[in-house]
Amino acid sequence: MRASAVLIWVVGGLCLFGMVMLYSTSGPQGEKLFGDPNYFTQRQMLWLLAGLAAATFGARMDYRRWLKLAWPIFGVTLVLLALVYVPGIGRNIKGSHRWIRLPAGLTFQPSELAKFATICLMASWYGTRRRQRAGFKGGLLIPGLLLASMLGLIVFETDFGATILIGATGGGMMFVAGAPIVYLLGTGVLGGAGLAWMISQNRQRMGRIMAFMDPEKYAQDEAYQLLNAIYAFVAGGIGGVGLGQSLQKQHYLPEAHTDFIFAIIGEELGIPGSLGVALLFVAFFFCGLRISGRAADPGGRLMAFGITLLVSLQATLNIAVVTGCLPTKGLPLPFISFGGTSLVVVLFMVGVLVNIAHQGADRPVTRRRRKAAA
Amino acid sequence: MWRVALVSVVILTAWGGLVVRLGQLHFGDNSALHERIRTTRSFQQDIRVGRGRILDRNGNLLALDLVLQNVVVSPDVIATNRAAQAVSARLAAVLGRPYEQVMGRVNRPWRKYEVIERKVKDDVVEQVERLHLPGVWFEPVSTRHYPQNELACHVIGFVNFEDVGSGGIEQSWNSRLKGRAGMRVSEKDGQRHEIYTRRKLQVAPREGANVHLTLDQNVQYFTERALEAAMTNFHPEAAWAIVQEVRTGAILAMASRPAYDPNTFNTFEAQDRMNRAVSYNYEPGSAFKIGVVAAAINEGVVATNDLFDCEKGLWHYGGRPLRDYHAYDTLDVTGILRKSSNIGAAKIAVMLGEPQLYRYLKDYGLGRRTGIGVPGEEGGILNPVNRWHTIDITRIAMGHSVAVTALQMLGIMSCIGNDGFRMRPYLVQRVVDKDGNVLQETQPEALARPITERTAALMRQMLSEVTGPDGTGRKAAVPGYTVAGKTGTAEKIDANGRYIRHANISSFVGMLPVERPEVAIIVVLDNPQPIRTGGQTAAPVFREIAEPVIRYLDLGPVGESEQLYYQRVLAGEP
Repeated sequence: MRASAVLIWVVGGLCLFGMVMLYSTSGPQGEKLFGDPNYFTQRQMLWLLAGLAAATFGARMDYRRWLKLAWPIFGVTLVLLALVYVPGIGRNIKGSHRWIRLPAGLTFQPSELAKFATICLMASWYGTRRRQRAGFKGGLLIPGLLLASMLGLIVFETDFGATILIGATGGGMMFVAGAPIVYLLGTGVLGGAGLAWMISQNRQRMGRIMAFMDPEKYAQDEAYQLLNAIYAFVAGGIGGVGLGQSLQKQHYLPEAHTDFIFAIIGEELGIPGSLGVALLFVAFFFCGLRISGRAADPGGRLMAFGITLLVSLQATLNIAVVTGCLPTKGLPLPFISFGGTSLVVVLFMVGVLVNIAHQGADRPVTRRRRKAAA
Repeated sequence: MWRVALVSVVILTAWGGLVVRLGQLHFGDNSALHERIRTTRSFQQDIRVGRGRILDRNGNLLALDLVLQNVVVSPDVIATNRAAQAVSARLAAVLGRPYEQVMGRVNRPWRKYEVIERKVKDDVVEQVERLHLPGVWFEPVSTRHYPQNELACHVIGFVNFEDVGSGGIEQSWNSRLKGRAGMRVSEKDGQRHEIYTRRKLQVAPREGANVHLTLDQNVQYFTERALEAAMTNFHPEAAWAIVQEVRTGAILAMASRPAYDPNTFNTFEAQDRMNRAVSYNYEPGSAFKIGVVAAAINEGVVATNDLFDCEKGLWHYGGRPLRDYHAYDTLDVTGILRKSSNIGAAKIAVMLGEPQLYRYLKDYGLGRRTGIGVPGEEGGILNPVNRWHTIDITRIAMGHSVAVTALQMLGIMSCIGNDGFRMRPYLVQRVVDKDGNVLQETQPEALARPITERTAALMRQMLSEVTGPDGTGRKAAVPGYTVAGKTGTAEKIDANGRYIRHANISSFVGMLPVERPEVAIIVVLDNPQPIRTGGQTAAPVFREIAEPVIRYLDLGPVGESEQLYYQRVLAGEP
């Protein structure tokens, strides 16, 4: 089976499984907030349709067009990131400026777009005029500054999760593209230090860190979510309590249908559920690597790697947070957590990945069959 | 390509770590955590039920549960709003409490829950709500409420702060009234609401049953109004009265002064809460003569017109003098009752003999509790006949050396009114559960028949003369009816058992209409001053009760056939 086909099965499986789990987990919250236990599921289904359209679009469109459009996309993203601060356009939830108002009560999260913009820019930068992209200036300084400008805007939205994710993805792409290791490491350490300083200035984030260090002490406050996520896995045990039977989703675990949905999966379905999801993401990673390796050109190779790395890293970070290995960040689990922008963007990127696959070494297979048919 | 491989290895290592972590969480020995999850998620809850109501015979509410509100604050929320001082000041103003006291409760930022004021009524709730204070809310609490306040307080009793009936019917019928709390074992969600699908055990509660009394709110009111007036007019230390249905023994009213308000029972003294009508033993004095004379007539020892030498007011018996209040020469039995001659009554008792008198007194139910079913009932004092001194029979004849409760004294009168049948007195008509099922119903019950129908009729005829123009109880007469009754004026006994001079227990016990009595009423005044005799103090109170009661009960005039029957019984015709 071709890597792109496996990829589509894996992603399709994750999306469908995610919908089932969302239906299970979002009931109590939907009932409480909107008086309708199906509220979140219905919304997410619409978003899934939009995501499928976006994926089809991504798969049909030649990925090289995105690389050519990398600079405009980057520019638009920067503007959108700035817009979240504009009163009347931006929307403030729990002290974070991450959302832009859309008509019909919808919201849009520019940092999701920033993920794609960063990948495009990096792939485009390192994929063309490759000789100029070696060395300090072309290989590190300019892309590093571009990345930093993007991260700077996101970090001031107080979206540390997206900052770390995009930073790591961008850094990983630069590393794979051949940026000098020493400088890259140095920059990474500097960036990390800067981030650490910003976190220490933010009481809420610092509280999360403290809670992570000593969950029992903050059991009723900062660590409440973390402890309840761990309770969920423990309560699930090996076999799980059964689909729909979670107790933690009954208002014990905040964000049970978004960032912490993985904990409920662990509770309801036990080891098969949680490890199954983990394995699907591993499969996704390998598919992505294979597509990247067989891409038609360096730009496509780098882009495919960036997309794969981004999705895998996001899943890793999310699961690490939910299992109590990392402090709470606010990253959704790709394909599964509730969240419209995130789902549409990630499915669109999967579409692009499929396109890269079809234009690369995967493609002849198709052609041969078509020829045979003809 | 080594760079891609390195990134892959890093990612896969992280995944490996996560898988290990997942295994730890799913597989590991987490029994302590399991236990904690189980204990924090599951709960056991009592399902409280409302206490039953107490109603009078017409269904008027005498006691019921009301839902009031506690004013509660969340100091942590108020602290977040930095509003402790403002909230305290405004709450203190509305609730009428000192600011420092409220502030002391509000200014505890580490607390989530503090009760500021308990059991406030709706108007206060509205006032507080209008302030829109952050972190201030209300918590419903169920409260026992007595809408009639003091009315029948001694019969109804009250409920203490632990919701246990502590007096009157509330105490003696506590188990019926309180019902039985249910229990529920279930699990709760993060907002502490029960998750119904996970309910493990549910024991249905049993609602408290309603107790319907035989009391009539209006008769009770007439009685208490008369007692209030007596307290003002005759200045007794205490006063009590009972109204009883002669035919059944049901109590229509039972009142006592001083009284208390059961809504604020804790602000009253124990002596205010004493139900003297059943809990106070006293020497009945002359009123007791009705029992002695009835016994003698019933035994055929004397007839109504037998003459007795009343010794001009002084007679020695057993070496001790016996005096009359007024000196009389000769009186027949009717005259002895009408004029209340101690010497005459003593002579009748001596003729009857000790064993016979004792047997009758036992048959009247003296010396033991009636079992009417309110706490604190006394049974009077009646010594066994072998412990009587020589002179005791003459003293008992005039209502000394023997003690009764008002309920017992009234019982003798009712017995005479009820053609000789002594009925069991009762206060509770029936007990009905919340679904209307009658759990218990009291039927009238005849306990004994100490005297015959004819004796009873003769007694009534003689006693009707007491309220006649030259009887001691003429102030008890009710226009339009013939009242049979007897006054009683006994010297009060102090704590050491000695008689107190110039201090009396004055009483009047009577019934009407005499031909076919319907209600019997007793009024007892403890040490009225300066007028002290029963005829001058208790008798008018009797009338003040009897007049409106007889009108309220709408007892028509005695029918011709009943008149005729009464006359025939008196004449001894079968």
